[in-house]
Amino acid sequence: METEQFNDVLLESAKEVFETMIFMELAKADEPFDPKDDDSLLGTITFTGDMDGCLAIGCTVDCAKNVAANMLGMDPDEQVSSADVNDAMGEVANMVMGSVKSRIQEQYTNIQVSIPSVVSGRKLENSLGEKARRTALAINIEGDFTAELSILYRMHETATQAGLANKEVSVNAADPSTN
Amino acid sequence: MSNSLMIVDDSATMRKIIMRTIRMSGLEMDSTEEAGNGKEALEKLSSSPVDIILCDINMPEMNGMELVKKVRELSNCNDTKIIMVSTESSQELIDELMAGGANGYITKPFTPEKFQDKLSPFMN
Ligand SMILES: [Mg+2]
Repeated sequence: METEQFNDVLLESAKEVFETMIFMELAKADEPFDPKDDDSLLGTITFTGDMDGCLAIGCTVDCAKNVAANMLGMDPDEQVSSADVNDAMGEVANMVMGSVKSRIQEQYTNIQVSIPSVVSGRKLENSLGEKARRTALAINIEGDFTAELSILYRMHETATQAGLANKEVSVNAADPSTN
Repeated sequence: MSNSLMIVDDSATMRKIIMRTIRMSGLEMDSTEEAGNGKEALEKLSSSPVDIILCDINMPEMNGMELVKKVRELSNCNDTKIIMVSTESSQELIDELMAGGANGYITKPFTPEKFQDKLSPFMN
């Protein structure tokens, strides 16, 4: 799958998750996500099968707290524990991955997803070694926060060929400019 | 007649979201239990069965697929309905779960209407 297609799939998936489960608006951001020296979180989930890789959502701790509070239906002035914040970010990664998977399952039928994990720190980035491709997309949450969705992936030979042969059935067939 | 529920999911956030979604759907449960994985669920169920289990698939310790099989071996859970709630959406997997003893399937992300739809046939 081309990285451009992946970005569209990522955006649609994240929109669905944020709008139906988190009750927050999500849109493509004009500026890249730059946490500077703020503490950030990276919610990740790995997958194996026709394609190996890792999906991640990175944002500042402040943003993650807001997302978690919304998911849990808490008042804005209530304190969210860091355990809840981590759990929520892991579940966001899990749901976005689930949504991505259902959108690409015609091309990639065999994809197994792991249990999500969350790391915190500064300037976090994931890597997957040689021959891996990375696609990243800056998103805006509720107009208040910029965050980043990314997928690192490594295609298997046979899946790459199947992917090329099946281009017409790809998820963003509605947008001819990307085909 | 009453309706007892157990929510099995390794994410505490997801368990809360499911509970809120059930409230929003208008379905009335008399009691709600929670478990963080299949093993914990099974321990609770063997001493106190419930009417409906909402069950995640990807969980540590014991996943949803194994839990379904184990619940179906429990004699006190003969009438228990198991609805899977998961991000997994392949038809193959759904078929396998239904064959293994699950009674329904809801994919994440979900809406209150979806819960209303899938759960109301099993409400007492
Ligand atoms: Mg899970």
